[in-house]
Amino acid sequence: MTAIIEGSVIEVRGLTKRFGTVTAVDDATFTVEENTIYGLLGRNGAGKTTLMQLLTGQDFATSGDIRVFGQSPVENAAVLQHVSFIKESQRYPEDFRAKHVLKSAPWFFENWDADFAAQLVDDFRLPLNRRIKKMSRGQVSAIGVIVGLASRARLTFFDEPYLGLDAVARQTFYDRLLADYAEHPRTVVLSTHLIDEVSNLLEHVLVIDEGRIIIDQDAESLRGSATTLVGTASAVDGFVGAREVLHRDAIGGLASVTVLGLTAQERTDAAAAGLELAPVSLQQLVIHRTNTSEKEFEVSA
Amino acid sequence: MNRITSVVRLHLTNPWTTIILPWMIMGFILIANIAIWAIILGAAAPEDRADIREGLGYSGSTTYFFVYIMVLAVQAISVTFPFALGYGVTRRDYYLGTALTFVGLSAMFSVGLTILSVIEEATGGWGLGGRMFTTFYYGDNWLQRLFIFFVTFLFFFFVGTSAASIWVRWRANGLIAYFVGLAVIVVGGAALLTLTGTWPAFGAFFVNAGLVGSFAWSLVITAVAAVGGFLVLRRATPKSS
Repeated sequence: MTAIIEGSVIEVRGLTKRFGTVTAVDDATFTVEENTIYGLLGRNGAGKTTLMQLLTGQDFATSGDIRVFGQSPVENAAVLQHVSFIKESQRYPEDFRAKHVLKSAPWFFENWDADFAAQLVDDFRLPLNRRIKKMSRGQVSAIGVIVGLASRARLTFFDEPYLGLDAVARQTFYDRLLADYAEHPRTVVLSTHLIDEVSNLLEHVLVIDEGRIIIDQDAESLRGSATTLVGTASAVDGFVGAREVLHRDAIGGLASVTVLGLTAQERTDAAAAGLELAPVSLQQLVIHRTNTSEKEFEVSA
Repeated sequence: MNRITSVVRLHLTNPWTTIILPWMIMGFILIANIAIWAIILGAAAPEDRADIREGLGYSGSTTYFFVYIMVLAVQAISVTFPFALGYGVTRRDYYLGTALTFVGLSAMFSVGLTILSVIEEATGGWGLGGRMFTTFYYGDNWLQRLFIFFVTFLFFFFVGTSAASIWVRWRANGLIAYFVGLAVIVVGGAALLTLTGTWPAFGAFFVNAGLVGSFAWSLVITAVAAVGGFLVLRRATPKSS
C-alpha cells in the first residue's frame, strides 16, 4: 500500500472505468489537497459525473486505486460519513417536500448547521411545504445546493448543482459558498461548464476530456498560462514561429493567435513587434485545450 | 448502528406512504366489504341467509393489502436508495436499515390486523357474519393469526425488496429475467413433482406441517429473498432515471 501524502484528501492512481466498450474514465491519476476549492471542468460526457461517482463509492472502478481520507471509499462508512455529494440528477423520494429533506439531512451529517440551512432557504426563496415533484427545476436544484452547503461535510462534491437556477440564485450560491468556506474550511469539488462564472472561486482546476485528465494545475498559474496575440498576420506569424498554437483566427490581414507560456522577455518582444497582448479567460483556455487534446493525444501516441 | 437507525428514520420521515396510506387502503377494503355483505344479506330471501353467511366466511380481500405491501417495498427502495447514497450512506447500512424498517412495519401491520380480527370475533363478523381477518386460513386463535399475519407481511415485504433490488441494479431487463426465472422454477418444480409422481408427498408435507407450520416454512423463501436482495443491492449503482 502506498503511503498517504500528508494533507491530501483524495488520491487517485491509474483509475479507469469502462461501461462496455465506452471508457468513461481513462487512466486518471491526481490528488486533491485538503481545504481547497477544486473545479472539475470538461464538456458534457467527458466523464465528470462518473469520476465523482467513483470518488464517492457510488460506482465501482474497472481498475486503478482510489483513496479518500487514506481509504477506499467503496462501502466505507468511516469515509462516506464525511462526504456530501450533490448531483444535478439527484432524485428525491416521490412524496417528499423540501421540509422532509431538511429534517432528515442532520441525521446523516454530523456538522449540519440548521440555522445556516434556514438562512439559505430564505436566500433561495425555497417553498418548504411544496412537494418536490411539483417544484420547478431551479427549486429542486436549490434544495441540493442548500444540503450541500449546510451539511459542511469535510469533502463536498457539487456536480452541476445549479441547473435551472437563475443568475441571481447562482451568484447567491457562489457568495454563500465562499463566505462559509472562509469560516469553515473544507474541501470542495465543483463540476461545471459555466467556467467563467466560477473562475474566481476556484483554487485548483482539473480538466477532464474523453475520460482523461488533461489539465491538473492551480487556477492562478493556469489563468496566466496562455496569451492571445493580435496584430497583422505577418507580424503574428513571425513571432509565433514554431510555438504551439492553441487557437488561431484570421480576418483579412489581421490574425489573433493564442499561445502558451510566454516569459516576461517574450512579452516585451511581442509588444515591440507591434502585437497586442490579451489575457485568456479560463473558459477560453479550457475550450482551446479540450478541442486540441485529441490532436495532442494522436501526436503523443 | 447509528447510520442504520438513520435509514429507518429516513423511511418514516414522511409517514404518508409507509403508514397512513396502507391503513387507509385497509380501511377502504373493510368498509367496501361490510357494504357488500350488507347488500347481499339485504337482497337475499330470509331462508337463504344461513347459506350466505357460510359463504361470507371466505373473504380473500386481505390479499389486496398484502400485494400493496409488495408495491410499497418496491417504491420505498427505488426512491430512497439513490437519495440515501447521496447522503453518504453505504449500501450495507441502507439495506440493513431498510430491512429493519420492513420488519418493524410488518410487526405494526400484523398487530393491527390481529386487533381487527379480535373485533371481528367480538362483533360477530361486523354484525353481519362476515369474516375478513378470521378466515380459516388465518388460524384458530389470535396468537396463530398474529404469527401468520407477521410471516405473511415479512414474505411480501422481502419478495418486494428482492424485486426492488433487481430493479435498482438492472432496471426493467433485470425484472423480466427475474420473473421469467421464477416462472421456470415454479413450472419446473411442478413438472418434477408430476414426473416423479410425488404430488401426494408434496401435499402430505403441508398437511403434516399444519397451517401454522406451513406458514412458518414461508420464512425460508423470505430469507432467500432477503439475502438475495442484499447481494444484488451491494453492487448496485444509483441511476439518474
